[in-house]
Order: sequence, then C-alpha cells, then structure tokens
Amino acid sequence: MLIQILNGLVYGGMLYIVAVGLVLIFGLRQVVNFAHGGLYMLGAYIGFAAGLYFGFWGGLVVALVLMALLGVLLDYGVFRPLQDKDHMTTVLVTFGILLVLEDVVHMIWGADTISVAMPELFEGTIQIAGSPFPVYRLLVIAVAIIVVVGLTLWLRFSRAGLYVRASSVDALTTGMQGVDTERLSLSVVGLGTALAGLSGVIASPLMALSPSMGSSVLIESFIVVVIGGLGSFSGAFFAALVIGQVHNLGIVYLPNVSSMLPLLLMVVVLILKPSGFARQH
Amino acid sequence: MSNISSTSVLSPSVPSNQGFGLYLVVGCIVAVLGFALPFMGLPKNLLSLLTSASISAILATSVGFLVRQAGLSSFGHAAFFGGAAYAVALLVNYTSLPSEVVILATPLLIMVLSGIISLILLRTNGIAFSMLSLAMAQAIYELVMKWRDLANGEDGLRIRFAREIFGVKLSFFQKADTMFLTTWTALVVMVVIVVLVSRSNFGTLTIAIKNNEERARFLGYRTLWPRIVVLMLSAFIAAVGGTLFSMYNGYVTPSLLHWTLSGEALIIAIIGGTRSVWAPAVGAFVFVILRDVAGNYTTHWQSIVGLVLIAVVLALPNGLGGALTSFANRLGGRKNG
Repeated sequence: MLIQILNGLVYGGMLYIVAVGLVLIFGLRQVVNFAHGGLYMLGAYIGFAAGLYFGFWGGLVVALVLMALLGVLLDYGVFRPLQDKDHMTTVLVTFGILLVLEDVVHMIWGADTISVAMPELFEGTIQIAGSPFPVYRLLVIAVAIIVVVGLTLWLRFSRAGLYVRASSVDALTTGMQGVDTERLSLSVVGLGTALAGLSGVIASPLMALSPSMGSSVLIESFIVVVIGGLGSFSGAFFAALVIGQVHNLGIVYLPNVSSMLPLLLMVVVLILKPSGFARQH
Repeated sequence: MSNISSTSVLSPSVPSNQGFGLYLVVGCIVAVLGFALPFMGLPKNLLSLLTSASISAILATSVGFLVRQAGLSSFGHAAFFGGAAYAVALLVNYTSLPSEVVILATPLLIMVLSGIISLILLRTNGIAFSMLSLAMAQAIYELVMKWRDLANGEDGLRIRFAREIFGVKLSFFQKADTMFLTTWTALVVMVVIVVLVSRSNFGTLTIAIKNNEERARFLGYRTLWPRIVVLMLSAFIAAVGGTLFSMYNGYVTPSLLHWTLSGEALIIAIIGGTRSVWAPAVGAFVFVILRDVAGNYTTHWQSIVGLVLIAVVLALPNGLGGALTSFANRLGGRKNG
C-alpha cells in the first residue's frame, strides 16, 4: 500500500511540475498554453539527445537551458504580440505550435518510442516496508519536492514572486502599480517552459519517449489546473497530489476505467465548487 | 474575461438581412450542383474524397456553430462524432434493434447524453471550457482503448449491419458514388437547420448571451438553457456525422474518439471561418482535398496545418469564409460589412 502511495506521489510530482508551469504562464498572460504538452515532450527529447553526449545530468542541464530560451522566445514572439487579442486567439496559436512541435520531433527522431536509461547512480532499488522500490522514483519525488519548496519560497518571499502572485490575481492593476509585467513575463514564461522540460527529462526513464507523449500529460495537467482553480498555485499543488494518487490507484485497482477517474473527480469538484480548490479572490 | 474584446475570431455577428437573398440563391445552386456531382463521371477516388469531405464538413459545421452561437471552442467534439459511431456499432452488434432504428436514434441519443454532460461542461466558460471538453473526450478515448471487453480496444469493431437497410442494399451506403448523395443531403439539411436556428429569435438570444451573459440576464433571460440547447444541437450535428461515418466505413476504431480529430474539426472550422454558417463546411472541402494533394508531396501535413492555423488566426480572423465574403462584396461594389 505504501508503495502504491509512493508511486502516486511520483506521478503527482511530475504532474505538478508540468501543471505549475501552466499556472505560471496563465498568471501573467491569462492564457492556457496548449503547446505545454509539446514543450514537455520536446524537453524529454532534447534531454535524451544531449544525454547521449553529456550523460543524463548534462542532458538535463542542456534541456533546461534550451527550454527556458524557447520559453522566452515564446513569450516575446507569441504571447506579447497577441496580448490585446481575444484569449482564444492565443490558445489557437499555441495549439498550432503544438502540432508543429510534434511534427518536428517526429521528423528528427522518428515515430518509434525511445527508452531512456536511468542515471547509473540511481539505478538500484531499496527496501521500503518490505518491498523493493526503485531509487530513481524516490529521486523524482525529491525533485518535485525541491520544485514545490523552491517555487513557494520564491513566490512568498521574493519581490518578483510578489509581482507574479499579484499579476495572477489581476494583471492589469499590477501593471498600473508600476510593475513591468512585460519583462516579468519573459522570465516567468521561460521558467514555466523550463519546468515542462524538467518534467519531461525526469519522466523519460520511467516512460518511453514518443512524439505523442505530451498529449496525455497535457490533458491530466489541464484536469489538475481546473480542479485547482485556474491560476492558483496552491490549488494546483493539492490537485496534483490528489490526481497522482487517483491515477495510480485507478491503474492498480480499476484498470478498465482508470482514465475516467481523474475526470470524474474533476466533475465532482466542479459541481461542488465551480471555482476549484482555490479560495476565491 | 474573454467576453471583453470585440475584434477576434469569436467576434459577434448578428444576422442581417442585407444580401441574404443572394446567399439563398448561391446556396441553392451549390446544393443542387452537389447532387449532380456523382453523375458527372468523376473518378472514383475523387468521389470518395468528396464523401469523406462532406462528413468532415458536417462535423466542422457543428463545431463552428458552437463557436459562432456560444463563443465556445470545443476541443472535444470527437466524443460526439466518435461516440455516435461507437453507439451505432455497439447497438447494432449487441442488441436486437434493427439497424434502421439504431441509425435514426443514435444522433438523438448522443444529443440527450450531451445535454446531461453540458450541465457540467457549461459550468465553465472560455478557455476552461476548451480544457474541459478536451479532457472529457480524451477520457472516453482512453476508456475505449483500455476496456477491451467493451469495444475491442485498439483494434476497433466491425459493424454487423443488416444486409438491407432502409430498403436498399448495404452497399448503397458504402460506395462513394451513392453514399455521397446521402452525406450531401445530410450536410445540406444540417446547414439549413443551423441557418434557421441562427436567424431565429433564439439565435439572436444566444448571440446576446455570448456577447454579454450578465446583460442578457439583466434583460430577464435565463442564460443557461439557451447555452445547453446550442451545445445539444451542436452535438446532434456532430453525431449525425459520426453515424454517417459508421455507415460508410462499416468499421469503428478509437481514432474516431481521439483528440486529434476534435482538434482537426476545430481547425477546419476556424480556417473556414466561424462568422458564417456555411464557411466551416467550405473549409472542410478545402482541407480534405488539400490534405490529399499534399499527401503526394510531403509527410509534414501536420506542420502545414499548424502553420496555416497560426496564419489564418493572425491574418484572417474571419477565416476563408470571411475573406471570400469581403472579396465578393468588393466585386459587388458593396462595403465590407
């Protein structure tokens, strides 16, 4: 049972890292980035390709840097010029980007699934409550915890974090108070896409790479974001934990309908509390 | 939130009577020309392409209708389209209902189900609706994929139709030259229904709700029901498309439920343009034929679609249909409205 809960934590942790990127971008740009699943997938592939030369950790660093740059470009080239248009316009453009990304990855690395080796240091298993558990999965949990703690500290105690929180409540007023949301947005979108890349790279030893790997993560992180309440950081955290457990227990105990469970949970939440877990502003 | 801006893909379009007579004439001519197509000795593969295109056109019409009347961009219409196809397959194979009854009842069944689902979907708006519709449809896809006993998972199902349905041989519905008549009829009927609905008082009310729900409530209208009805009608149209697809192919696979199909339908509707009722259908014919042509030259159709989508959204917010209309108006010397 403990093992199952840990597995749920692994999945929930990865989901959190993806979903919080969506929340960050939503906070500043009021736009849901449909390309986010594609960025997760691209990050995983970049990590894999660079990993062939620099090892797993080198690959991770390369992927993080490139994805952050891509995020800055995305904000500069897409979100900023489109900010005065209807939000749906931007959503459709990011959807177009998703299609192009999938096709580009397909062109470079092919459609076949690629499996990625775990970093050697974390290959083994340890005994937890009498059953073996892969060390690498513990590492994934640890990475997720680091992201949660780091992000929370940053959002709570730094000036930039304050601006980000303010902007996710009301971007316009935040701008009127003299915050340069344009500049802030560059780094925040960069951070969001880097997080998508991070999640992709650390997930890659656990699940095989394929150009379509992004879509299932995208959909579950949408569920997380909706359950958590659009734009809420703490909501996304709790929602990711819950969905991680539901996802995993579903696969173990109700394999036929496992995919319906997160959705049903979302339905229940939306009926009881349409604004999601988040407190209303 | 997203209701504030006015110039956009989803911009308001209240029906006007200006030039409606012209539309009516052109529409009738196109409809009649369509029925003549199978008798003009076109090559067989072109006819089967046109048949597929008219089924896509029905789906795109339903997606475009939802954007136009309710401002909702659905990323989950595959659930209604593929859901209908699967409902036909399961009901024909596992119940003793006659195929005719199944075919006629399935769109209604899906419409009723969509009414129930809409009570949840419509608790959201704008972007959240897009996300929810995507999640809902994809969950159904995963369900069909994983639950092999339900519908044979990834391999799909052959539908065991009766040998004769509606008094004609089954092959009537599975050969392009004859099936095209059926799909074209269905498309024309669906477009006419959508035209009638969107020009009615009810259509105007839904546009008002789309533009400013709060104001519509202040005027004394209940705003949830009209939205539900629009979604149900949209689901019905998509389900008609799915039912026709299942008849034409006689086979269903989970790809009919996959979100790429929903995305494609939305892309077609946007590229065609969502300001006019007929534009998504035109978009579908352009899309399907171009895809076939492009298939001979390149394997990167998906990139092309993505780039065209971005270009259309940015440069032609009213889609091909909007461009066509303003071009026609310019020819006629009328000011672009």
